[in-house]
Amino acid sequence: MHMADALLAPGVAATMYVASGTVAGLSVKTLTKDENTQKLPTMAVASALVFAGQMINYTIPGTGSSGHMCGGMLLSALLGPQAGFLSMIVVLTIQCLFFADGGLMALGANIWNMAFYGCFVGYYLIWRPIMQSNLFGNMEPRKAQRARIIAASLIGCVVTLQMGAFSVVLETTLSGITELPFGAFCALMQPIHLAIGIVEGLITAAVLTYVYETRPELIRDVDLTAQSAEGRNSKPLGVVIFTLAMLVVLVGGVFSHFASGNPDGLEWALFGNEEAGYSANMGLDEENFGVSSQVADSAASIQEKTSFLPDYAFADSDSAMGTTVSGLVGSAMVAAAALAICFAGHFFRKRKPEELDPAVK
Amino acid sequence: MSRTIDQSIHDLREMDELASKASPIHAICAAAKLLVTVAYIMIVVSYDKYNMSGLLFMVFYPAVLFAVSEVPVTTCLYKLRFVLPLVCAVGVLNPFLDRTPALTAGSFVVTTGMISMVTLMTKGVFCLMASFLLMATTRIEAVCSVLRKIHVPSFLVTLLLLTYRYAAVMAEEVGVMTNAYSLRAPGQKGIHYSAWGSFLGQLLLRSMDRAEELYSSMLLRGYRGEFYYTEERAWSAKDAVYAAGWILFFIAARGVNLTRLIGMLVTR
Amino acid sequence: MIRFENVTFAYERGKPVIQSVSFAIHRGETVGLIGANGAGKSTVMKILLGLAGPGAGAPGQYFDGKILVDGMEVTPANIARIRQKLGFVLQNSDNQMFMPTVLEDMLFGLLNSGMTRKEAEKKVDEILQSLGLMDLKYLYNHKISGGEKRMAAVATVLAMEPEVLLMDEPTSALDPYNRRVVIRAINNLPQTRIITSHDLDMIYDTCSRVILLTGGKVAADGPAEQILKDEELLMANRMELPLRFQ
Repeated sequence: MHMADALLAPGVAATMYVASGTVAGLSVKTLTKDENTQKLPTMAVASALVFAGQMINYTIPGTGSSGHMCGGMLLSALLGPQAGFLSMIVVLTIQCLFFADGGLMALGANIWNMAFYGCFVGYYLIWRPIMQSNLFGNMEPRKAQRARIIAASLIGCVVTLQMGAFSVVLETTLSGITELPFGAFCALMQPIHLAIGIVEGLITAAVLTYVYETRPELIRDVDLTAQSAEGRNSKPLGVVIFTLAMLVVLVGGVFSHFASGNPDGLEWALFGNEEAGYSANMGLDEENFGVSSQVADSAASIQEKTSFLPDYAFADSDSAMGTTVSGLVGSAMVAAAALAICFAGHFFRKRKPEELDPAVK
Repeated sequence: MSRTIDQSIHDLREMDELASKASPIHAICAAAKLLVTVAYIMIVVSYDKYNMSGLLFMVFYPAVLFAVSEVPVTTCLYKLRFVLPLVCAVGVLNPFLDRTPALTAGSFVVTTGMISMVTLMTKGVFCLMASFLLMATTRIEAVCSVLRKIHVPSFLVTLLLLTYRYAAVMAEEVGVMTNAYSLRAPGQKGIHYSAWGSFLGQLLLRSMDRAEELYSSMLLRGYRGEFYYTEERAWSAKDAVYAAGWILFFIAARGVNLTRLIGMLVTR
Repeated sequence: MIRFENVTFAYERGKPVIQSVSFAIHRGETVGLIGANGAGKSTVMKILLGLAGPGAGAPGQYFDGKILVDGMEVTPANIARIRQKLGFVLQNSDNQMFMPTVLEDMLFGLLNSGMTRKEAEKKVDEILQSLGLMDLKYLYNHKISGGEKRMAAVATVLAMEPEVLLMDEPTSALDPYNRRVVIRAINNLPQTRIITSHDLDMIYDTCSRVILLTGGKVAADGPAEQILKDEELLMANRMELPLRFQ
């Protein structure tokens, strides 16, 4: 789910940086409020662990494929949402800087998509309410807690990954990068991430269950005395279910709106319409493509939307696509020059011995 | 199974080694390089999706930097394997969805959809090269010192430094455990679900113990919540010229389609 | 310099980890703390450093007796000053060297003690020169070998100029060459040294006095020359003679 820079417009990237940055700043404030300096080494080790843990290959029984773990839910279940969020930020930063897994400008968006949902939504809306609820109350207390851990992990991972994937679609579409209709893009991303989410949920559940059996004090919101079900409160869970249901309705509504291809519904003042001079069917040759008008209309509406968004072309706003001969010739020359520079560097490098920084072995 | 782990440890070490070399680019201060990289990425991304020829001129930045810094291009291109899949997935349908013909070469029609796909992928490659070049010529301590200068909270920067320190250590531990596992389960390709919990769980518990020892170690050296960072030298004239020069170049390239200009000069 | 007076310590009531431990270590001595696994050696170090017990101020831990470092009792109030006198080289150097580079690790403690950066860097150069380790200065901690890391850890601790150097298994996991380097380094130090180890040959090469712990109690306390050649005593306490005497 790591996004590259090329998938985002500067405005969208900047907005996501602001959002992630704000939450990060608030998290730091919350964490450094008390004088407990022990959090830092614990978080660092946890981050390093998640980083390494993401390389573990978990075989999924029945299929030939394998799953991997992202870590947002795991971290927040162990460290709490703020610490978990900051730890995830660091993991994502290292992946971006050293492994080019995710772009530098897209880091803000990646943090939001992968860390914010997993840590905050996952913790406050899913983990804590479930762990503090009366769910599975009819079971023996320890078994009930274990069941709650499994449920919270599964639901948490699935929901937060869905939200993350959906955000990727939104951000890319708002950036005007793709011709993919919103509906089609969602249909591509959501099911894949549903599968990924289930696997991650199962892995997270397995790990947390193991920790619960061995050192339960490490997990948040676990009742260490494992009291009976009396006195437990189901209300938070009810609120959560309601909130999640509303979210699903809202998202589903937006989704179906786009997918329905109803041009009237999409005549949003912000995005212009046919009268304003934008072709309803820009770029699509229906006869040859043979696609149903539904998709065509969706594509058209996206075209309208993207063509109205601020164009960052400072001058040269005509489609300088190299349609002209000069453009093509120029391109060829530029490419040749670039290659020449690279080879020149290589050539000169061979001439003189490599100078190494004397301070490094 | 442990190939990914070995590869990751190798990648981490590789970037360290590249950043520790000497070249005129390595000598530029981190802040200037970061500024230029961000400017480059933002401007590359701002090209509209059909402006392939204009975009192409931006190749000079990575080309010059690769040549002068002596950082290998192949290493960079190998890193493409992470982000390119998603970029391709997003762009690959463009030629099918956007079929406005742009130009014809004999019987082959190049559509705007094809152009937008190529533009997207080119942007992806250019942006990746820019951040790769930044990290291949700048040590992590220098990056952290710049982050502090732009007021990223020290808590977060310290966390980044410490995590970086232990990332390779943990990766090695995972590698050792993975090897031990595969030696006892030769037919399996990954971790069997019956061991999912205990495999990472054990590592997690050991890590918490390690965190405690680490904390003790810090306390014994007087840790009271403050960390100290390598001080980067202040901006010099060289850095200012570097930054200003490149940024002006980017703006000029963005403003005028220099590629076409060159072509016009030749074809006149 | 360091005095344990009838110290008993337990993490949980009723299960003492060390019982009625008494000894006195004088300035300049090199003492080997030996014993089987679980005998209580690490616990002695920990409570001395305030990582457990009275110095840590941890509730729920049971402690009796007195520990004095240079006349100061080990309490949460004194522990900062006590730690300035004590240097501890951990068994696991990875957990000790937590900054990216060796230089930064060495600077960490010095800067925390209030030195300016210039002064601290000078001190670092001094120590590295004296140990012949200048090559390590700018290296990344996660890339140097185990032996180099161990030496870097020793250098880091020495940079803080402790009066007492505590070392937990300093030669473990080292190849013979590095082991010799560490032994030589230990022997050249002016500080009071307390070393825990299973490497009895190394203890014999470095320590003038040995304290043998068994089951949390002091089973023997005397000259290394005497204890390390006493086969009966060692075998009775789940130890054996150093290899060179076997």
